Amino acid sequence: MSSRLVDRVKDLSKKEDVILNLISFALAVGFIIFAIANISMAGTFLSIDSLFIMAVSLMMALIFLVSPLMWLHANGMLKMPGAGGEGVAPKADLVPVHFEGTTRLFLSILGWLLGLTLVEVFLAYIHVPLHIMLTILIGLSLIKAALIVAYFMHLRFERLSLVLTLIPMLVVCVCLLLVFFPDSFRSSALRYRFNGGGSATAVEGGH
Amino acid sequence: MDAHVDQLTATEWSGGTLPYHVGHKKLGMWLFIVSDALTFSALLIGYSYVRASSDQWPTPFKFSPSIIFSTVMTLCLLSSSFTMVMGVAASARRDFKKVRVWLGLTMLGGLAFLVLHLYEWRHLIKDEGLYPWTLPHEWLERWPQASPLFGATFFGITGLHMFHVLTGVLYLGAIALRARRNTHEDVEIAGLYWHFVDLVWMFVFPLIYLLSVDFGAK
Repeated sequence: MSSRLVDRVKDLSKKEDVILNLISFALAVGFIIFAIANISMAGTFLSIDSLFIMAVSLMMALIFLVSPLMWLHANGMLKMPGAGGEGVAPKADLVPVHFEGTTRLFLSILGWLLGLTLVEVFLAYIHVPLHIMLTILIGLSLIKAALIVAYFMHLRFERLSLVLTLIPMLVVCVCLLLVFFPDSFRSSALRYRFNGGGSATAVEGGH
Repeated sequence: MDAHVDQLTATEWSGGTLPYHVGHKKLGMWLFIVSDALTFSALLIGYSYVRASSDQWPTPFKFSPSIIFSTVMTLCLLSSSFTMVMGVAASARRDFKKVRVWLGLTMLGGLAFLVLHLYEWRHLIKDEGLYPWTLPHEWLERWPQASPLFGATFFGITGLHMFHVLTGVLYLGAIALRARRNTHEDVEIAGLYWHFVDLVWMFVFPLIYLLSVDFGAK
């Protein structure tokens, strides 16, 4: 009798889990649709308002996605990317002994870092248009930063909880900083133009 | 006993008491690194903002001395990061002599970076006449509408980074002197800081130097 009751309660809470997760998944999808609709309707994508709405709605989508993803992971339907199938966090070692890496691994990381740096310098040697140059440089620098953080700083071998605490915070804050960036184009377009460079320098030399 | 171990090592979502599985000092250093990364990203984004909103921006670094010079600086910093990793690995083996040697090499790389960087600053200030709020006269003739904030962004960002390198060298010195009394985690934390200094340069170098290469005619 009582065991049947317990079973029913468990069953009910399972169903409740499913329903709540479905709701938050639907909300996340809604925010993503909102972000996409914003791109198509805003006209210019690179404006403060548009970027702000995008950043906020994608962040909301992420927040609502966390619970369903954790639920899927807990029920074994979702393997963590990068974990390679087997669990990363060793459960029962009290002494914090974790993988330190081998000299060969560190040398190959160093080789990659040096190689990517030389690619960047080579791009500076040949003439590349500024926008393309900026994009490539930022991309390569992000790769280098990821290599340093993951292997030299061991973050790849720490618990997922530490990674989830540190990295998303940084990414979200940098995105929020970047939201203000399009304003620079506007302030450039709105500026009063002096006649000729001479007077401009005279004014600015007064600082 | 088993229950106790379970509580200490349970996953973060099951109420484990060591949710991150790192010591408090290491967690503190990680949090400091994230906040410092935000400081630097704010500075770099501010620099990009000023540059994008200016009519002109000086691109004074000639490939032949300047960029090669700063590339050598980058190589110093990158290899010092490698020696730091080797030092941490030696510390994991409790091999204190090796720890001292590797940390010494790391400090040497950091000092080489500092000396080269200061030499470059001296060249820019004394020979070129670049100051935080004013551009040299020759630059103004070449880029008449250039923003005078070039010096402010350059000295501000590289100066703050240089300060971090200096602090890092002193920090590593303190760690190397206390090699025997340190726990392994202390050395690891010093390593975290040093790699972070290296990581910041991975963004400063392309954004400040490689985007300001002088291609001659403009």
